[in-house]
Amino acid sequence: MKKAPLAKRKKGEAWRKTIKGRRAIAILITFALLIPIGIIFVMPFIVMVSTALKPLNQVFAFPPRLIPETPQWQNFPDGWYGYGYVDFTTCTWNSLKITVNNIIGNLVSCTLAAYAFARLKARGKNLLFAIVLATMLLPNEALVVPQYVLFNRFGWLDTHLPLMVPPWFGWPFFIFLLRQFFMTIPEELIDAAKIDGAGHARILLQIFVPLSKPALATLAIFAFIGNWNSFFGPLLYLRSPDVQTLPVCLVQYQGAYGNTDWHLMMAVATIAVIPVLLIFIFGQRYFVEGIATSGVKG
Amino acid sequence: MNKQQLSRRAFLKLAAASSSGVALAGIGPLRNIAAAQDTVELTFGRHWEAAFRPRQAEYDEGFMERHPDIKINITYNTWADHNNVVPAWAAAGTLPDIIYVHGSRATPWAHEGIIIDIHDIVSADEEFNVDGMWEESVRLYRVNGRIHALPYDHGPIILGYNKDMFDAAGMDYPAEDWTMEDMAAAAVELTDPDMGVWGWDGQLDLGNGGGGFFVGAWGGQTMNDDETAMSVDTPEVREALNHWYNLIHEAGAAPSGTESEAFPNQNPFRSGACAMGHIATWSTPSMRALANFEWDVAPTPMGADGTRSTGAFGSGYGITPTSDKPDVAWTYLREYLSLDGMIFMWSLSGRGSPARPEGLEVWLNSDPAPPSGRYFLEAMFDYAVTGPPFQSLAAAQVSNILGREAGLLRLGETSVDAAIAAITEEGNAALDEVADDM
Amino acid sequence: MLRRYFPAISASARREERIFYLFILPWLIGLVVFNAGPVLGMLGLSFTDWRISLDNLQFIGLDNYAKLVDDPIFWVSVGNTLYIVVGRVVFGTAFALFLAILLNQKVPGIPFFRAVYYLPTVTAGVAVALVWIWIFNPRLGILNYSLKQIGITGPPWIYSSTWVKPSLILMSLFQVGPNMIILLAGLQGVPKELYESAEIDGAGNWAKFRNVTLPMLSPVLFFVIIISVVSSFQNFTEIRVMTEGGPGESSNVLIWYLWENAFIFLQLGVAAAVAWIMFVILMALTGLQFRLGRRWVFYEA
Repeated sequence: MKKAPLAKRKKGEAWRKTIKGRRAIAILITFALLIPIGIIFVMPFIVMVSTALKPLNQVFAFPPRLIPETPQWQNFPDGWYGYGYVDFTTCTWNSLKITVNNIIGNLVSCTLAAYAFARLKARGKNLLFAIVLATMLLPNEALVVPQYVLFNRFGWLDTHLPLMVPPWFGWPFFIFLLRQFFMTIPEELIDAAKIDGAGHARILLQIFVPLSKPALATLAIFAFIGNWNSFFGPLLYLRSPDVQTLPVCLVQYQGAYGNTDWHLMMAVATIAVIPVLLIFIFGQRYFVEGIATSGVKG
Repeated sequence: MNKQQLSRRAFLKLAAASSSGVALAGIGPLRNIAAAQDTVELTFGRHWEAAFRPRQAEYDEGFMERHPDIKINITYNTWADHNNVVPAWAAAGTLPDIIYVHGSRATPWAHEGIIIDIHDIVSADEEFNVDGMWEESVRLYRVNGRIHALPYDHGPIILGYNKDMFDAAGMDYPAEDWTMEDMAAAAVELTDPDMGVWGWDGQLDLGNGGGGFFVGAWGGQTMNDDETAMSVDTPEVREALNHWYNLIHEAGAAPSGTESEAFPNQNPFRSGACAMGHIATWSTPSMRALANFEWDVAPTPMGADGTRSTGAFGSGYGITPTSDKPDVAWTYLREYLSLDGMIFMWSLSGRGSPARPEGLEVWLNSDPAPPSGRYFLEAMFDYAVTGPPFQSLAAAQVSNILGREAGLLRLGETSVDAAIAAITEEGNAALDEVADDM
Repeated sequence: MLRRYFPAISASARREERIFYLFILPWLIGLVVFNAGPVLGMLGLSFTDWRISLDNLQFIGLDNYAKLVDDPIFWVSVGNTLYIVVGRVVFGTAFALFLAILLNQKVPGIPFFRAVYYLPTVTAGVAVALVWIWIFNPRLGILNYSLKQIGITGPPWIYSSTWVKPSLILMSLFQVGPNMIILLAGLQGVPKELYESAEIDGAGNWAKFRNVTLPMLSPVLFFVIIISVVSSFQNFTEIRVMTEGGPGESSNVLIWYLWENAFIFLQLGVAAAVAWIMFVILMALTGLQFRLGRRWVFYEA
């Protein structure tokens, strides 16, 4: 291969050195990484949708095929109908109600506690924060039975209370998460506000909350997904058909010894993922806004 | 708007109900009538996938018509979670009146007081024909000689085969007088590595029922009769395990553990890649739904000396100690588990194989039953024995060990001798630990 | 002892303290009402022969703990847990940070890619069993198919005692979505001015990453590492759905061992003891991390 003339190469190097040139190369490298990983990451979703569009006897056909021969669109209404004995409309409504309540509850209770742990001085604080962390470390699987016994004593079984009340009393994971973000907010901002005579409630609402939008949006998304997909708690606490949640209704298609309507289950699962995706795409705006705000004042 | 949607849904429900032959009486109105009278509520904890619930609802509607003073309220768990939810219910004292009991759970649940001793209730009821159930099926729920639950479903494991693959190879279907050697020879012949097909599906299983199929023909047993010790360390079991191990790893006539995982849902026979596999009554509905080929069943092949053996297993229902109305619960179960009840629920739908001979006979005409389904009936009459472990309190631990070692044998990660040693040592240790508690 | 935690303080400090306790009050109430009972109950029950019923429990001292120490499979599961935790935390955190940086680039279509990268986290619960057939399946999976294209015969992945733990670690990389999002939020929170002043000082990309990004991100990174350790210890779904501790005992981790004892063997007292051992191990690891964290985590306050 012939080398390019010196002048041209120099021109090339010069181009690479310009801001525009460096940016173009950066974009190229970014895409070269983003796209292949993205293809792998999108696989689970594709498999889910592909299964949702197959007839049952093709779900496990050998060898497997990703694109169904004839897409079975009927699986979506059939799945939602649930043989007339699984009421997905009610389940979805219940899940939505619980999820929205829990997001708000977590945002309020965890923001307060996180601010206290991040920025207020008090005796006993370190000990209490150690307890916050410690409660995160106990395996939930071990607490299933005692917690069930407790909620039974409260008379809360077969209602949404065991699912909807605790979020208003903080969740260690979120308290810890927000505390870490709150600790990165510059001290000078607080000092300035204090000079203006602002109390802690005002500092929290007017400085911390706006500056922490990315973190709060993160919390909201986690709370949404966690509650929307929550399975074992609702399964155990709820018995009547009219209080069930979506993930519990979804597995009603599962049977013993291979008697599972995979196609219908995946059809409803696909529908169930849509709100999560919408929330996620919508919630991203707040990440972007977050930079803008902290950028100006930082 | 709202009203319209409701009526549209109600209409769809009715349309579906009538098309599937379900009685049109909705649950709603019935519930109201029941509430007006002085009724008792009978609660259930069970599993059925959504597809089978219309049948259950139809039965329950009929029951409530016959007994207007009883109202039925079902909590559905999934099959996978039922056994995890029940202990939590039991600990908190929130068990429903009637629960589904898998055969392997009867002994520990009876022992832990999750199901009550119904021996006297059953024997006092002269109309209820408990002797008309397979004795092998009732045995599952007899703890210390007393009945603690009753079976609804019970079935044996026999040989299943892919007709299309035998036809393509121009070979005769498995014959009634086949021995295990005949089966192995056919498996070798049907195997074609280039086509990615095997003669046998390699699903070696030593658990409930599987042990009878895979070691019984050699005269072996996984455990002694009263399940106080493992009995795999015998020449018979060794010979049997070597037979299957070699068929997979030496002859290559079955996919190894790794290869068979290539088949979605871990069932290469159902996927159509293997000509033969063991098949139980309870796996026929999913065969019917998922297999895209012609298939049938044959008797479990005999041992070299003409010994024929296989395992059987099943599930049932029990009444809980939390129930303050075991008599009402029995009113339900005596009808549900009667011949008529079984025929309505399982024989006609084919969703289960009734624990009564007449019920299983009717089941043979159901859609999931294969053409030669009578071999299931024959096995129940002639040679199927309920498969251990189920009588020991350590049954779950022993099942675990047997399953683990069978898996390692299929993968080729252990040898027959090492597997036998591990099963013997660990199994006996688990059994000894509970010996005093029984 | 109390003095150490509650030394005498000034009036303004006391006012701040009151606000502190007011702000954490909901959490404190929740702790007492919802957690204290079950958690302390579990501690007590680990010293009993609890199987299911809570009546007629026998106090058996440390028998449950002694039983664990004597059980070779318990020790296998401790080893498996540490193997998987180390792998998941090291590779998972590095990968999450890598993806977060990638998704923080200002290139067109980034919101789309963020959603794509988060998809496996969202779809995990339902599609898991089917998805792994497509990915990990030794014969037909996309992973081994791709390897075959470049002339490598892929391993049997989760269907082999040797490969199952690396496979589980690899699998966990699909679930880095939450950590990726947290780190992304952290990256977005780094004030631009810091980069600008670093550029004025003539810093290159690496220097900016080393001197601006990492210190500013360190509290969040610290959080991610702590949480990864905890969640790796407690991760249960994949084990239950896919391996059930196998082949053999090669993927039997503590949380599966706990579940098996509780819900399969109905030995809830033993399961409670496992829970406390897991708790103590995690406490030690977390305490150690906080100690080490003082050296590398940069806080404003």
